[in-house]
Amino acid sequence: MFQGKQSKMVALVLMAFFALSILTGCAGGDSSSRQVLNIYSWADNFCEDVIADFEQKYDVRVNYDIFASNEELLAKIQAGGAQYDLIQPSDYMVATMIKLDLLEEINKENIPNLNNMVTTFQRPSYDPEDKYSIVYTWGVTGIAYNPKYVTDEINSWQDLWNPAYAGRVVLLNDSREVIGMALKKNGYSNSTISETEIQEAVEELKTLVPNVLAFDTDTIKQKFIAEEAWIGTVWSGDAAFIYEENPDLEFVVPKEGSTIWADTFAIPKGAKNKELAEKFINFILEPEVSVQNYEYIGYSNPNKQAHPLHSEEYLSNPMIFLSDEEMKNTEWLEDVGDVLTVYDRFWTELKVGR
Amino acid sequence: MKSLRHRLLFAYAMVVLAFLYIPIVVLVLYSFNASRINAQWSGFTLDWYISVFQNRYVLEALYNSLTIGLIAMVVSTILGTMTALALHRYKFRWKGAIHSLVYLPILIPEIVMGLSLLVLFSQLAIPLGKLTVIIAHISFCISFVIIIVLARLEGLGREMEEAAQDLGATPWQTFRYVTFPMISPGVMAGALMAFTLSIDDFVISFFVAGPNSTTLPLYIYGMVKRGVSPEINALSTILILFIFLVTVALVILPERFRNRMGDKKTQRQMPF
Amino acid sequence: MSRGRMLAYPAIAWLLFFFLAPLVIVLFMSFLQRGTYGQIIYQFTVDNYIRFFEPLYLQILGDTLFMALLTTIICFLLGYPIAYQIARLQRNWQTLMLLLVMVPFWINFLIRSYAWVIILRSQGMVNTFLLDLGLIEQPLNLLYNFGAVLLGMVYGHLPFMILPIYVSLEQLDRRMIEAAYDLGATPIKTFFYVTLPQTLPGIIAGSILVFVSSLGMFVIPDIMGGAKSALIGNLIQNQFLSARDWPFGSALSIMLAILSLILIFLYYKALQAQQGKEDSR
Repeated sequence: MFQGKQSKMVALVLMAFFALSILTGCAGGDSSSRQVLNIYSWADNFCEDVIADFEQKYDVRVNYDIFASNEELLAKIQAGGAQYDLIQPSDYMVATMIKLDLLEEINKENIPNLNNMVTTFQRPSYDPEDKYSIVYTWGVTGIAYNPKYVTDEINSWQDLWNPAYAGRVVLLNDSREVIGMALKKNGYSNSTISETEIQEAVEELKTLVPNVLAFDTDTIKQKFIAEEAWIGTVWSGDAAFIYEENPDLEFVVPKEGSTIWADTFAIPKGAKNKELAEKFINFILEPEVSVQNYEYIGYSNPNKQAHPLHSEEYLSNPMIFLSDEEMKNTEWLEDVGDVLTVYDRFWTELKVGR
Repeated sequence: MKSLRHRLLFAYAMVVLAFLYIPIVVLVLYSFNASRINAQWSGFTLDWYISVFQNRYVLEALYNSLTIGLIAMVVSTILGTMTALALHRYKFRWKGAIHSLVYLPILIPEIVMGLSLLVLFSQLAIPLGKLTVIIAHISFCISFVIIIVLARLEGLGREMEEAAQDLGATPWQTFRYVTFPMISPGVMAGALMAFTLSIDDFVISFFVAGPNSTTLPLYIYGMVKRGVSPEINALSTILILFIFLVTVALVILPERFRNRMGDKKTQRQMPF
Repeated sequence: MSRGRMLAYPAIAWLLFFFLAPLVIVLFMSFLQRGTYGQIIYQFTVDNYIRFFEPLYLQILGDTLFMALLTTIICFLLGYPIAYQIARLQRNWQTLMLLLVMVPFWINFLIRSYAWVIILRSQGMVNTFLLDLGLIEQPLNLLYNFGAVLLGMVYGHLPFMILPIYVSLEQLDRRMIEAAYDLGATPIKTFFYVTLPQTLPGIIAGSILVFVSSLGMFVIPDIMGGAKSALIGNLIQNQFLSARDWPFGSALSIMLAILSLILIFLYYKALQAQQGKEDSR
């Protein structure tokens, strides 16, 4: 029975694991019968202390699950069976979810702190009746570059095509963002449904590909911090993040205009604790709470009552707050319906190099 | 000549093993990195080893991953080994179909499997949670176990088992004392594979997870947008260290112990 | 005897219910149409399958097959010797070595991939080292190309090859090897005529596992390849998560599965024919 020894050994390793898992279970578990708020959002999108304060104030438990893209969120909500009370889709996803009848109307009477909000985002194109979503944070897509390597003046999307940056350009790995950028450069809408305009944009992008180091959305920040990338399309909030780690960074919104995005609060159809979700939104909109929360996450706070309480450093950061002029020149990405498959096809062509 | 060949083989194996550990060394190194984002070296710190134990989300995720991985491993190893034995030994009318059924979960892209399971669960009104994740993990682990155990069985003859049965052993005795010892390396390899697949699965878990069943990979993928915290590196380092200590203790200590005692019984059990 | 057959039933039932049933849903979906906002319209069509045969998608398929084949071959060349070495050890050490091989894969896949990026990027460890030694003047482009994707693929799939080969090497009948030596065979001849054929079940299982898993891979091309090329896994991923064209994504998956089944079948047949020839010698 010499083989038995070997199995025993593996069994022992696994038992040790089991013991470990019980230990961690004791450390992390909490199974009281308090009311539970199930939040489904981006990772690290709230200050942990703020959530803990909310739990304490209302004697509830917050369950915070995470997704990494809007489409993942959609797939999960669309299939049903997920029991979330509060979700955070981005702008265009709100529009899609409204059209697919997946969102519950928010009862704004439960959120008196809505009066604290800036007026910029009232009746946005993705939620024209202002019924289903509340802006949580926002930003724009611009060009970030490292002035150590990029010494020319950068003010146009066309600058990415400069052969001096061959192999050092990073683009977002997102068909709508990249094709939208080329569309903007040509003076078209970033959400055009004209196939010829899209084709023109993609033909030009094909000449940009030799310059491209990588397409990257998730770890684009690391590429700038490590100075692998010199120049590229970056979201303003990410630029602020990079700047904190590597101050050799400039951020510009090109003169042709750019894409604006927002993450929102929304409540999915069939949410069990709708009122608690509204309480949570209201809590986040308390000026003091929002200062703590937004300084932690480092994105723009749309709460005007909170602005006097913010630190000078936060308010004066051009990657967190854009000038009115820059803001005027921005456009939301809109759901293009059937044309999305055209975007996807051209995107695949771009990748395959045909 | 022979020993040179063996030494070369040994060296080659060590090089491949080192290749497997290159990224591990880097990730351990970066667990001591002061910067919050995993991009550049910016100074030594032990902070992440402290803060990881205060991060309730990480600990919950680790707990979920370990329990799900262990349960999925045990169930799929038992079911898979049983199936492999039956498939190897008996004729089935639908043998081709059954073999295809076994291979299909490996052939179907994970995202499709995840989505289709999600649709199935929501049609059956099974609430998403730990149970659904475990079911999904077992579903893709079973096939791997069956394939590995079958690979073992195909190289075995039936003589030993027949001899045991001729000597009057019951089917259970035959299995316990003849068959199982012969296939145990295959079963062990299958179990290892199942645990490895379960503990590192993201795509399928993503679709079938619900509130309270966030696994470590799910947690880490979620962090990608903002930069994976070095807490994860610290946690991985602790896990690796833990596994090493346990295995080394289990492999080396008994050997020492045995040598000192001069246990003849054990020596007789050594195959060569 | 028929009672023993029942051993297979629980797993088969499990797979039928939790795998085949959802798969039928996917098959069904592949004949439907995409609605304007990505919902599914219940109208029969075979367009999704016709679309698969466009040159654009066939090229992606070809690239994917080539990558998977190359991954399998390299994994075999790297994996066989280490499996051989492990199988030669004493039992206790075998367990230790097997665990050593597997442990890296218990660490999250993303973290390991990012570690490779840290090593290989232009300011990475390899380039810094070579620059410091003065061996190169400019950083080498080690990442975001075909080679980097291949490296990631091989790294990620190596245990799939090592484990099954170990399992069949471990039961190698050493008397046959000794007999071959006694009959005056050279070590190389012995290996090719005795060892290799005996471990064929492990090699088959290992290469199928590696080949098939690399066919569906999509994360490695994104991280190590800079998402500059597309494999069929990326294409499928995009249909579900970016184009929101579930029917086309389903059709692609079904085609991929059918194709893999055919390839595995052919591979099996070819090896069996080979084995038959050798046995009759």
